Amino acid sequence: MRVRPPKALRKSIWVFHLNTGSCNACDIEILDVLTPFMDAERFGVKLVASPRHADVALLTGPITRETLPKVVNALKAMPRPRLVLAIGACAVGGGIWHDSYSVIGGFPRLKKILEENGVIIDRVVYVPGCPARPEAIIYGLAVLIGLLKKKVKKEVKEAGKGEG
Amino acid sequence: MVKPILKLITVAKEVGVVTRKYPYESPLLTEEFRGKIEIDASICWGCGACVKACPSNALTIRESMDVMELVYFAGRCIFCGRCADVCPTGAIRVTKEFELATDELEDLEQVVIHRKVKCPICGKHFVPQPLEKYVCEKCAKGEIPTYMMVCPECRRKVGVKKMIRCKGG
Ligand code: SF4
Ligand code: SF4
Ligand code: SF4
Repeated sequence: MRVRPPKALRKSIWVFHLNTGSCNACDIEILDVLTPFMDAERFGVKLVASPRHADVALLTGPITRETLPKVVNALKAMPRPRLVLAIGACAVGGGIWHDSYSVIGGFPRLKKILEENGVIIDRVVYVPGCPARPEAIIYGLAVLIGLLKKKVKKEVKEAGKGEG
Repeated sequence: MVKPILKLITVAKEVGVVTRKYPYESPLLTEEFRGKIEIDASICWGCGACVKACPSNALTIRESMDVMELVYFAGRCIFCGRCADVCPTGAIRVTKEFELATDELEDLEQVVIHRKVKCPICGKHFVPQPLEKYVCEKCAKGEIPTYMMVCPECRRKVGVKKMIRCKGG
């Protein structure tokens, strides 16, 4: 479904890079998106230094226990509409650390904690990949602000009956 | 002040434009690139080798009474391709699909449903049908021994009974 972007986002979107304990590979892909090679500034995407100025948080990493309070504070500081792009297998479902003692295990679990603390996330788009390709991040951004439709959908297949 | 800028211009001229126009041109995919995996349900046995090999538990098995589901969650997959390496049937294909962004986690799931074989003695469901068929084809040339189709527990009991009968003569 194509979603019409919220009114606040019809113009350039400003992004804040939020590393929550990732291995840095996803962060390097974000750099690739923002620097001239993929050049997300073609679409008006601009990196800002404070969450207070940002429309979208580019969240990477599985959210370690150590970073959790800081992440909550950073997201709390963002103005509404609060948008999050969860980048990488870590941010989507915990990745290879999903059952580790020291991490929360991805954005879905963080979302619950945020809701308990009264922080509302208006829209979140998950970008899988380890690390997510720069193209995938640009695609995710486009889905997030409603320029493109999502492609994937749940598949259920019965064994022995072929595709379908 | 002018000199470095002139130098920069010459370098820029040499290099040219490097920016990829991605949404308007094809992505930069190399031959080795691995994306999301595709499970061919028609040839999967449900043996679970891929589940054992998966380092991030993106592939899991969900069991209920008479169904076994092989669940692939692309959100946690690190696209390593180990599952495709170990799959004995070649049911797993590594695609180049990477545009997986979605706002619903459910969209990232792929489920293969396997019906389980019913034990004729105790009525318990125990192994996926295609796996059982393969084992029967492989091991029993011609007729299938009666206790090949029963669950491991009943098989043990039947075996012990048979042994006692033999000894007791
Ligand atoms: S998703 Fe992979 S590359 Fe990205 S932070 Fe996690 S482990 Fe690193
Ligand atoms: S290893 Fe291959 S045959 Fe076995 S369960 Fe996985 S996909 Fe199916
Ligand atoms: S590609 Fe790797 S992480 Fe993904 S399902 Fe296969 S084994 Fe698991």
